[in-house]
Amino acid sequence: MQKTFTLLLLFISLVSVKAQIKDFSHLNFKKADSIALALKGENLTNLPELSFKLTSNLKTDAERFRAIYKWVCGNIANDYSLYLKNDRQRQRFKNDSLKLDAWNTKFRTKLFSRLLKKKRTICTGYAYLVKTLADFANLECEIVQGFGRVSTTNIETLDLPNHSWNAVKLNNKWYLCDPTWASGIPNPKTNRFNFEYNDGFFLANPKLFAVNHFPIEKRWWLTEDEEIPSFDAFLKAPVLYGNAYRTLELHDAPQQMHHTIKPFEKVTFKYQLKNNTKIEKVKLGFDNGFSTWKDQPTSVSINGKSLEFEHQFNQTGFYDVHLYLDDDLISTYTVEVRK
Amino acid sequence: MQTQTLTQRKKYKTFGFVAVLMMTLFTFNSSFGQTAEATQERTITGVVSNEDGPLPGTSVTLDGTRVGALTDDEGKFTFPKKLKTGDVLVFSYLGYETQKISITDKTNFITLELTPDMVEMIGAVDTNKPYKSKRKKN
Repeated sequence: MQKTFTLLLLFISLVSVKAQIKDFSHLNFKKADSIALALKGENLTNLPELSFKLTSNLKTDAERFRAIYKWVCGNIANDYSLYLKNDRQRQRFKNDSLKLDAWNTKFRTKLFSRLLKKKRTICTGYAYLVKTLADFANLECEIVQGFGRVSTTNIETLDLPNHSWNAVKLNNKWYLCDPTWASGIPNPKTNRFNFEYNDGFFLANPKLFAVNHFPIEKRWWLTEDEEIPSFDAFLKAPVLYGNAYRTLELHDAPQQMHHTIKPFEKVTFKYQLKNNTKIEKVKLGFDNGFSTWKDQPTSVSINGKSLEFEHQFNQTGFYDVHLYLDDDLISTYTVEVRK
Repeated sequence: MQTQTLTQRKKYKTFGFVAVLMMTLFTFNSSFGQTAEATQERTITGVVSNEDGPLPGTSVTLDGTRVGALTDDEGKFTFPKKLKTGDVLVFSYLGYETQKISITDKTNFITLELTPDMVEMIGAVDTNKPYKSKRKKN
């Protein structure tokens, strides 16, 4: 009896583990992905038909959703100029709700027209299209509005919601994904959008997601209540890059971006990785305002998929510290060393 | 024996012809009554608009199928398949709330205004640009 009870407890604890892509490791998304690829270039005039073509030959809801998501990520470009324009106007009218509403209405019309005719949009357009196509396939999907932190937003003073993503219900469980950030990134020099699919944002671990996604509605954290950060704590979290979603399962420590320490003190870093790595692949990049360089951390330990390292700062100064894994930029912290 | 069979076949043929003729007559006879009209398949036409006027390019689909049409420059459509009472048409246009209309006994022409989806449009662009602290210039 006791054994059964223990087994039952174990089962419950396993079931309540965070909803993420691992739940579908038994599924192969190759077929869904190839359907999405075969329909590249389809237009958006007949959404019910597009949804039908994407999903009708797939058996599971997870695969059906995958085909829709992958199609949107591979066919819709991020319109950087629209983003800048909207951002400027929203800041301009942020204390005048009437003008802000009027701007939102005008912008919405412009945005949908641009999406329909040119297949270019900003976050909400991506999330909206994923939801609409999912609706036609009878998949339960929602748009999540909130705050997204990236290295170039004014990360300490985010005051208006600036990002949208999706939640989808598969096998009675909600999952998170971010089609905008998965679709690609603008070229850092020209700001022209490059399609570069990042699979890390598909049914991502909600705890990793929480580092740089803050939903307005509490139910979309999909984590335990005690794990939900305050908005202030969110603004003080480290900066994560898209590569973090490819490489990391969890970002455990440090939980803050900024650290003030004395010379010869250490900062500790902890992560759970998706794949194994080697010590020599772990590098830190430093910028003290005068010069930049890369170095190995003072000490690194890798135990299976958990990575932990420390770095000792000897010289006073203010450092931007970037983590690189296999030359991919993962995250950024700042460290002020003073006596 | 053979002749009898032939005569019988002929009889069946004539009977079949009369049956088809009668069914056709019943189907096209509008005075046949309300109950027949309910199950009667008919061509549905209509016009779709938004807050500014006709909405060309709205997709009109028979729910659960791929059969459908797009509205023309004047927002008008003629549904390509004959519909019967109980069929549901799905009207959708990017940025507008999708609407479902059930065909009733009296539906022949549908006039519909789609309402915009009042979603607030926002967007942050992800980047690989390394974060750079703002420093005081000496």
